[in-house]
Amino acid sequence: METLYYIILVPMVYVAFATFFIGTAVRLIKIFREPSHPATLQIYPEKKPRWLWALHDTFLFPTVRRHKPLLWVFLMAFHICILLLIMGHLELFGEIETLQLIPHEIFLGQGFVGLIASIALLYFLFRRFISPVRELSVPEDYYLLILLFLIVLFGSQMDWARRWYFYEELSVDHYREYLSSMLYFKPYLPAEVSDTGHSFMLVLHVFFANLFLMFFPFSQLMHSFLSLPMNKLRRG
Amino acid sequence: MDQQTRDDLLKLFQGKLNEAMRFYLETCTRCGVCTEACHVHASMGQVKYIAAYRAEIVRRLYKKYFKGRGKVWPSVGEAKELSEMALDELYDAAYSCTGCRRCMVYCPFGIDTQMLMSIAKLLLVGAESEPEILTLLADTSIEKGKSIELFKENFMEGIKRLEAKVVSKWKMEAGETAIPMDVEGADLLYVALAGAHSIIPAAAIFNAAGENWTLSFFEAVNFGAFVGDPTKSKLILDRIVNEAIRLKVKEVCICECGTAFRVMKQLAGKQPFKVSSITEVHARYIREGRIKLDKNKMDGGVTYHDPCQIARNAGVMDEPRYILKHLTDDYRELTDDPRYNWCCGGGGGLVAMGEDTLDFRMKSSRVKVDQVNATGADILATACENCHAQLDNLNDHYKMGVEVKFLSSMIADALVQDAQP
Ligand code: SF4
Ligand code: SF4
Repeated sequence: METLYYIILVPMVYVAFATFFIGTAVRLIKIFREPSHPATLQIYPEKKPRWLWALHDTFLFPTVRRHKPLLWVFLMAFHICILLLIMGHLELFGEIETLQLIPHEIFLGQGFVGLIASIALLYFLFRRFISPVRELSVPEDYYLLILLFLIVLFGSQMDWARRWYFYEELSVDHYREYLSSMLYFKPYLPAEVSDTGHSFMLVLHVFFANLFLMFFPFSQLMHSFLSLPMNKLRRG
Repeated sequence: MDQQTRDDLLKLFQGKLNEAMRFYLETCTRCGVCTEACHVHASMGQVKYIAAYRAEIVRRLYKKYFKGRGKVWPSVGEAKELSEMALDELYDAAYSCTGCRRCMVYCPFGIDTQMLMSIAKLLLVGAESEPEILTLLADTSIEKGKSIELFKENFMEGIKRLEAKVVSKWKMEAGETAIPMDVEGADLLYVALAGAHSIIPAAAIFNAAGENWTLSFFEAVNFGAFVGDPTKSKLILDRIVNEAIRLKVKEVCICECGTAFRVMKQLAGKQPFKVSSITEVHARYIREGRIKLDKNKMDGGVTYHDPCQIARNAGVMDEPRYILKHLTDDYRELTDDPRYNWCCGGGGGLVAMGEDTLDFRMKSSRVKVDQVNATGADILATACENCHAQLDNLNDHYKMGVEVKFLSSMIADALVQDAQP
């Protein structure tokens, strides 16, 4: 068991991050080195400044708001939650003062961010079972949502345990010890991380996150990088 | 399908992969926001007519042959072999899509389904499974470009016969030519369609405005673009470009034909002349006071159908409305936002394919009919040959009781002769 925990928490994490960074970079370079389309792909009427509208389209999903308002609420909530969660993880590496501009306990949102994200993911998943999105979906879409749901669930569970059930064996300091040791390539697993009642949750969280990161560059998740340039094309 | 054919087709596919195409192929999240966008789906209800579903038919091949994933784990994206059956699916998807790009307005990423369908169309050309009639028409156009001397005499004679009709709409001084041709140094080259209705009103208006113009020997329509063959589109386009350069004109004015205008405007590249649609030119004449129109020629409410390739896809939206304000006091919009105008259902070569597609065209455009009926207008104006033909068919089929008219002929009929100083 210990070896398995070790493999998931150390080597697999390195492999996952390497795949994610290298894979994404290589794929993006490949795409952006293709020649650009000879003609405009704009939709009219145009509004200026174009780049500002492209940013607006990319980050506020106005077309979804107009045509699928309920989906928009969940999409907005989900994407904001993801940003906050990324921020929370960065803080787990160590004190980052700029992120503490508004002083808060680590994992801003008191556990609610994770809760909202998991509900949104369930909504995304279940709407895929209903026609016509069902007919449009391919296995990848389900896998990604299920993976994300598991990641968020086990991850949040750790936070919830600390906050809501006063589980104190695993604390922010222990995570920091583990994560900074990883960052400096001197992997060290504190006993609290690998050997307490909630370690299995951490291990599952990391395991699914690893899978997710490794799949990321090869999946439709590339929309996170391509959405802006595509929206720019539409705005001209 | 044997390996050789498949490889050849995949080469064609590869040739289509530029940056934008990769974006479109990589990105769809299958969110379904585009579901209501397509008039075919809105009218007929089948899932296969949702924009994302069509796109996925092309994307499945991409996932199979152009992503590493296709070798390692094809089923995760339902990647698909290129086979005879895949070709049938491609045909269904591509030739039920009019390329109106209404779905692009809905998609949060702005995926261009028309672009993806252009891959499908090219593969069909490669497999010789495209609608033959379109290739035939394209080849005829190209042939004409090569041997213009053979056609010239006949063409000029035919045009001469139209002159009396032009003069009946706009009287001219003795000695002036009603339809000038082959005039070197003219300001404007007018590219019409084969058909008197595309030449007579336009000529009358040019003459009324005192334009120094000349008529092109070629027809504007680009069948190469309909059939999705880039080489042929380019050859057809080049005939006009070369003529314009030879005659040293300052402006090329494309008749009421959506595809012709968009192809010319967006694909001609940098040229010594500018490209305008005839609607833009007419609006300019009114603005500059070069023609005057009589508002009392029109009875009843007028609405205007924005041809997709001229409005949403090329930006000519204000001009037709400006013109119509000078033609009637009872103008009615089809939609409050012209980006959301329904396609007439005749684009992408469907009208050019004639009777074969008639049944489908009528069924797939029910929403257009509802949109027009809701305005209660008596006259349905438009500025595209294809749209006009399709709307005419719809008018008959659904007994809409409107009169479908070209904007240019409405202008020609309302010209006020004594405005001329
Ligand atoms: S709206 Fe765009 S991303 Fe969503 S399913 Fe349609 S094409 Fe795909
Ligand atoms: S381009 Fe038009 S016809 Fe084609 S899928 Fe999109 S909405 Fe439908």
